[in-house]
Amino acid sequence: MSLDFSRFILVLFLIWSVFSPEVVNAREVRLRLIHLNDFHGFALPQKVPGGEGEEGGAAYMAYQVEQLRRQHPTLLLAAGDMVHGDNWANLFKGASVIALMNLMGFDAMALGNHDFNYGQQVLEQLIAAACFPVLGANVQGVKGLQAFVVKSVGGLRVALIGVVTSDVPVTTHPRNVMGLTFVSPEEAVRALVGKLRPQVDLVIVISHQGYAQDRELAARVPGLDVIVGGHSHTKLEEPAVVAGVIIVQAYEHGRRLGVLDLTWRDGKIVAHEGRLLPIRPASGQSDPKVAALVARYQKKVDQVLGEPVGYTDVVLEGDSELVRTRETNLGNLVADIIRAKTKAEVALINGGSIRKSIPPGSIRRREVYAALPFDNYLVALRLTGRQLKEALEHGVSKVEEHAGAFPQVSGLSFTYDPKGPPGSRVREVLVGGQPLEMTREYVVATNDFLVAGGDGYRMFQEALGGPTGYENVGGVLKSPKLVYVNPGRWLREEVVDFLRAHPRLAPRVEGRIRESQ
Amino acid sequence: MKVYVNDRPVELLPGMRVRHALLGAGLLPELEAGRKVYDDWGNELGLDGALSPGMKLWVK
Repeated sequence: MSLDFSRFILVLFLIWSVFSPEVVNAREVRLRLIHLNDFHGFALPQKVPGGEGEEGGAAYMAYQVEQLRRQHPTLLLAAGDMVHGDNWANLFKGASVIALMNLMGFDAMALGNHDFNYGQQVLEQLIAAACFPVLGANVQGVKGLQAFVVKSVGGLRVALIGVVTSDVPVTTHPRNVMGLTFVSPEEAVRALVGKLRPQVDLVIVISHQGYAQDRELAARVPGLDVIVGGHSHTKLEEPAVVAGVIIVQAYEHGRRLGVLDLTWRDGKIVAHEGRLLPIRPASGQSDPKVAALVARYQKKVDQVLGEPVGYTDVVLEGDSELVRTRETNLGNLVADIIRAKTKAEVALINGGSIRKSIPPGSIRRREVYAALPFDNYLVALRLTGRQLKEALEHGVSKVEEHAGAFPQVSGLSFTYDPKGPPGSRVREVLVGGQPLEMTREYVVATNDFLVAGGDGYRMFQEALGGPTGYENVGGVLKSPKLVYVNPGRWLREEVVDFLRAHPRLAPRVEGRIRESQ
Repeated sequence: MKVYVNDRPVELLPGMRVRHALLGAGLLPELEAGRKVYDDWGNELGLDGALSPGMKLWVK
């Protein structure tokens, strides 16, 4: 036998030993899952109120990923809501995040509800740009989206199935999911597990449906090994085990990186160990290529923020002592934009949502963002005249304290006595020039902050407490009380759009809010 | 959608998040002061975490 032939036989044996199920079954494999969820484009370190200094930072995370990869065969997985949230993502419609994930070498990603926020066309472009499969087994109609992928790693065949919450139509603008079909995650997973289980060594679900729902999935669908979760932003410090299925989730915004080590032997997982690795800026622990990519996009962010988006002939008054005590021209402008966008009869926002004035001249995007720094979105509800009057009463009830609740309005005018007893200060209220009718319903637009009860406004929650029955009507989520909602777009972006469409402004104080004598 | 914060019911729109529930319960400033929010299993939650109907949150 020649030496070459002997080598050939040896190579054949090695190939067989790697891929033969019998041989794989006879040995032990260590597999590492590194997982991230609900990143929301936070590529730069963040300081969170009540937090522990700066956390997160994609370059620091990438450094840790590379260290972890050196120790075991690894899969790097993302459990959804990756591409929308922070300016670093939003100003590029998520393309910056996909570039980052390509550079970091992600192996797969499940879709999250907010990954639909830029609309279907952009989502399909992002999927096409990704060097990794984007998974959504319970979604039909998105080009390029895969139900599952099978990866070979460490000699194991691993099925990765992606699912997203079936609540997507109510957690992004319904227009973004028009024409798509969503089935229940459980139904989709159950159907696939039956087919895939006999062909693979491990079945992993990458799930963007929330921790409670992941526990239910584990309990109800046999044949799963691991669920890598997201959506509820759960800081699951150690893996949970439900019906023998290991469940993990890694908090939010890249502040933690999940690590799950699996020991596989004789056809099953025989041991596991999981942890959340804090991601923090640390000297010498930054991936230089990722740091360069983050900096490159951040430079573009700065350029975009510096772009002129409009022009004002007058100061747009947004300083706290103004918007919390009286009608201002910026308050009027923002309220008018909200009312126009939602086609409501009235708009009412809290003065505290406006934080800064904009000087006359060219308006840069940065100045709009500074004036409206909060991630607020638009909502319109049906309120009775009585509830609307109560909202106005509440808004002026602490004017002497310069409370953020002070209203800025559109579509109505009113007078109030600042020295009257709180709750009985509002006098005449006119809507569209007509006296307010207490029992009539009015469509009132506002922001999500007030609808949730922010600044003490309870009237919107009271309005929501009636019959529900939410449905998608022509691409808009509606119910007997809800007229408009778009959780996927911030108010400041609507203002930028308006400024671009109206390149020269000179809004005035018009007597919408007057103090009675 | 109704959720519960420290056993107190809070009415919210579908799609609203943990921060909205805390706003509705008047407890958001507590988190800024260093307290945390947990789910029914004792896991800490992020403020942008999704809610589901009937979910119970605990601020402590």
